[in-house]
Parts: sequence; C-alpha cells; structure tokens
Amino acid sequence: MSASTQRLGGRVNSQTAINLLKSNPIFVAIAALAVVTSFVEPQFLTGENLNNIIRQFGTLIFAALGMTLVIMAGFLDLSIGGIIGLVAVVTVTLIDTVGQGPAILIGLSVGLGCGLLNSALIISSGALTQAESLFITYGMSLVYGAAALMYVQGVTQFLTYSKTSIALFDTINSGGIGFLSVSAMIFLVCLAILYVIERRTYAGRAIVLTGGNKVAARLAGIPISRSIVIIYSVSGVMAAIGAVVLVSRVTLADPTMGTPYMTQAILAVVVGGTALIGGRGSVMWTVVGTLLLILLNNCLNLLEVSTYVQYMLRGAILIMAIWLDRVKQTSVSK
Amino acid sequence: MNARIIEVSKTVLALQKAFLAIILVVLAMAVFNMIPATRSEFFSQVNLVDLLKSSSIFLILAMGETVTLIAGGVDLSIGGLMALTGVVVIQLINAGVPIPVAIALCLLLGLVVGAVNAFVSVYQRTEPFIITLGMGIVLTGIGLQLTDAHPVTATDQGFQSIANTEIFGPVPILVLVMLAVVAVVYWMLRNTSFGRNVYAVGGDYEVAKYSGINVLRTKAATYLICSLTATLGGVMLASQLNSASSIAGDNTPLYVVCAVVVGGTSVAGGIGGAIKSAIGLVLLGILTNAFSMLRIDTLVSYLPTALLGIIIVSILWLDSYGRKRKREAV
Repeated sequence: MSASTQRLGGRVNSQTAINLLKSNPIFVAIAALAVVTSFVEPQFLTGENLNNIIRQFGTLIFAALGMTLVIMAGFLDLSIGGIIGLVAVVTVTLIDTVGQGPAILIGLSVGLGCGLLNSALIISSGALTQAESLFITYGMSLVYGAAALMYVQGVTQFLTYSKTSIALFDTINSGGIGFLSVSAMIFLVCLAILYVIERRTYAGRAIVLTGGNKVAARLAGIPISRSIVIIYSVSGVMAAIGAVVLVSRVTLADPTMGTPYMTQAILAVVVGGTALIGGRGSVMWTVVGTLLLILLNNCLNLLEVSTYVQYMLRGAILIMAIWLDRVKQTSVSK
Repeated sequence: MNARIIEVSKTVLALQKAFLAIILVVLAMAVFNMIPATRSEFFSQVNLVDLLKSSSIFLILAMGETVTLIAGGVDLSIGGLMALTGVVVIQLINAGVPIPVAIALCLLLGLVVGAVNAFVSVYQRTEPFIITLGMGIVLTGIGLQLTDAHPVTATDQGFQSIANTEIFGPVPILVLVMLAVVAVVYWMLRNTSFGRNVYAVGGDYEVAKYSGINVLRTKAATYLICSLTATLGGVMLASQLNSASSIAGDNTPLYVVCAVVVGGTSVAGGIGGAIKSAIGLVLLGILTNAFSMLRIDTLVSYLPTALLGIIIVSILWLDSYGRKRKREAV
C-alpha cells in the first residue's frame, strides 16, 4: 500500500515528514505555488487573502468532499452538476413562500432525495462497475437539469428580488467570527463529520472495503448496498450545501450553474491522491487537492494566463495526476 | 418459410429492444397523425431526410466509439476532438491551405490524439474514461484559445459542398459518408481477424492474452479508430454547417456512448456491433425528432430533455440489470 494511506496527523518526526513529502509531491507543488504566488503578489499571505481563498473554496470543496466518499467506494457521481442547479433554483424560488430557513432545509432535502434516487437506481440495477455508475448518474444529471429548467422555465432567479428577508444567505456569504467566515465554519463542520464517518465508524470502513474489492467485500458480509446509499446521499447533500453557499455568494440561481463542478470535483479528488479505482484515499487529501487547484487558479490569474488556457491546463492536470498516481502505484508494487 | 420469418423476427425483437422501441415510436407517430390536433410533418420527406442528416454526424462518431466499447475501453474525448477538428479545418482553409491537405492534417491530428489516449490508458493501464474526459477538456480548451470562443466560418464555399452536395434526390454526400463508415466498421468487426480480436479482448482480457492475441496493440488500435471517426465527424460537421464552434462537442461524448449502449453494446465490453449502435442512435434521433414534431415543449418547455434523460437512464438501467441477472444465473 502506498504511503498516502498513512493517517494524517499521526506522530510527526522529521523522517516521516520527509517520507511524506517524497511520496506526496502534492505538498511540494502547493509550497512551490505558494512561494511563486507570494512573490508575484505580496498581498498573498495576508489573513484577508487566506480567508478569501477559503471563500473561493466555496462550492467546489463541498462537492469534492461528497465525491471523495463516492470515489473511495469505487463509484462515480456525475449528477452533482444537475443537483446543484436543481437545489439552487428550488431554494431561491421557495424563499418567498416558506421563508429562508425552511427554503434552505427543503433545498438540502432535495439534494438528499436526488442522492437516494441515484443509489436506488444503482442498487436495483445491480451496477457494480464505475463505468455503469458513471453513465447512470450522467443520465440522472440530464433529468435533474431538465427538472430545474422546467421548474423555473429556464429563467434565472435572483436572490435579491425576494420580498422577504434573505439575512441567512447574507450571513453565509459575508458573516463570520474573527477571520473565520460562516462558509468556512460550515466547511470545517462538514469535514469533521465526514472524517469521523470515514475513520471512526463501521460504515466508513465498509465504504473503503467496498472500493477495495467489491466481490471480496460482499463475500465478507459487508453490506455493499448500505455503502451505496450512504455515499450517494452524502454526495447529494454535500452538493446541496455547495449550491446554497454558491447562491449566497453570487445572489442568483441558474438551472445550469452546477455544470462546471462535475469535472472539477473529480479533478480535486483525484489530484488530492484518492485513487480512482477506489479503496484508498481520504477527505483530508481532497482538501489538499482542492487547495492546490484554487492556488493554481490564483497563480494563473495573477500571471494573466488566458481562461481558455487555464481550462486546457485543468484537463492536462487531470491526465497527469492519474498517470503519475499509476506510475507511483506500479513502482510501489514492484 | 413463414414460420421461419416469424422466428427470425421474434429473435430480432428479443435481442433488439431499441429496434422495437423505434417501431413503437413510428407507430405512435402514425396514430398521432390520424388525430387532427396532433397531426405533424413527421412522415414528410423533408423531415425524414433531415432526421437522416442530423443523425449522420453522431452515427459516424458512434461507429468508432462502438469499437472502443467492445474492446472494453471508452473514449469520452470524441466531443472535444470533433469540435477542435472543425475549428482547425476551417482555420486552415481560411489560411489558404488546400482543402484536401487541411482534411489530411486534421486526420493526422486525430491519430495523434488517439495515440496519446491509447498510450496513457492502454499502455499505462489507467482508467480510460477519466483520461479521455481530461483529454476532451484539453482539446476543448485548445479550440477555445484558437477561436477566442467565437464560432468560425469558412470563406471558401467549396468546403461547404463536401457534405451538402445532393445526390440521389435530396440525400447529401454526408449521408453516404456515414453509410460508408457504418459499412466499413461492420465489415471490420464481422469479417476480419482484428474484429474478432476486439471482441475477444473486451470479452475476457486475460483469456485473450493467453490465447496469443496482442491485447495491448488491439486495444490501442481501437482508440486510434475512435479518434479517426471523431475527426471525420468533425470535418463533416464543419462542412455541413460551413462553420465550427469550439464548444460544439460538449454533450456529444455521453450522448453518443448512451446511444451506443441503448443499441445493445455493453459498457462492460465484448458485446455489441455496428448495426446495433446505428439502431440505438436512430432511436434517440427519432425520439428527439418526434418530440419536436409533436411540439411537446410548447406544453411544458424543457420536457423533451427530461424525457430523453429518463429514457437514457431506463435503458442503461436495463443494461446493468440484464448483466446482474446473467451473473446470478451462473
């Protein structure tokens, strides 16, 4: 097994730190990017900017955290793009009729419902491979996206047009204690819960084992179906949280606003080092992967690289990350 | 004789759910046509030729994708490659490169992309769909950078005539090219040793390996074929519209893969065929066409997209469920 399964926050001495750096070039990449960026833009290391980076984490980190569990179990969820769009429009349109708090709750339940529907489809069809889950959730993404479009007739909904209070959204966007913004707090709470699920519960172990080898997991009496329900519900709810945070930040809801997050979330998870074949990884690594992506975006923006080249680079990084991970695995198994 | 025809048609229907679905859609449209309120132009010659033309590009792409899927791989970069090819071919022609040279250069571009896909996913043994997804993003990004996200138009009118010249009445060359691609892929899969090897590799990789098949080379070749058909599709699309956009292929790969699976080619590999894929694509094409002819979107806008999504999910679900039943029967 590779070193990336080592528990983060284990006993740290200089030797393990060096080993960790050697086997995880991602930290080197982040350090290099941080150094470059702080040279180009001296403001980079101020507390305000770091908080800004946490805010840029925004929707992506929530979607990516949910995706991590799905990928660890050896599946994929391409429907989060559709779920984010659907949750966003449902939440914003309901503010006037039921009030802001219930609207957010209904939005989150829509995310949960979508996740449960995904898992029901996958379990009932007996899909066990990543490819099957990929295509089924892609199809569902079309359905959720079309449902969102039908619901608002393709019209963008503006948060600021609401007649009742939208204080809760303002708080999520700009509120905070000290330098810790509310969205950062939501992120930390989600991260803590997911980390505990992943490391400290039977369900978490079952998810990792499902991803390691589905046949072996079934023969060992691990409830694969329960793992599938958990991962897709978590993914749906996390996408919904991401949608609410996104709506608070951009103050509008568009049925297609979730589309870019589908590939970016996978990218963040994979760059973080969670193996696409499942059975290996951690939500902590996804945080690191997302951080790297955000820093890279920052850096490229400061260097005034065109957005199209940035888009291209994202694809290239995805290919490189997976390829390097494979090379690393092959050298370890030798 | 009669009994035999019935028997053959029974097996065809049992094997080809998509074919049955096409018949149902056509019958439904015939019934709708008898009711004045829902009468449509569905059966008019113009619409049928239109249907053929609009399915042709996807059909060309689907032929390569079928070969890759049968070999147990998948190529999601075809959308990006198709869009980029269109952009490149038009920019080359506008820069004064002769049309045949421009097309040849584009096919070369396709081979390079296919070779990279094959190297990383086959020889380095990584997950093909995520590698090719990344490749699609790279290619779309290049297209965006080349065109600054604006559509480009060919100034040389000769280019347009490649796809649009009508022969056999209203049927344009584009349709003939599509039929030729289908015929070649059908022949290749059915009558060549390479075709047999493709099925063997997709059916059971290890067994194929120990039977002496060069599994790596066979699988890599399928990616080259897939990229070539995507490039050809891109050239034909640009020629048909006389313009190209760098984002034209955003939804193409998953639509094509879903249509191929709808036709009965399995995403697990080893099962499928050129005609099956063609039927799958025609079904999705006919459904989209029927929805727009019946003007469903005037009842509830965006309903056709939702229906298409539901149909795709149901057929993918059936595909997985069939495999589950087979697994449990063993």
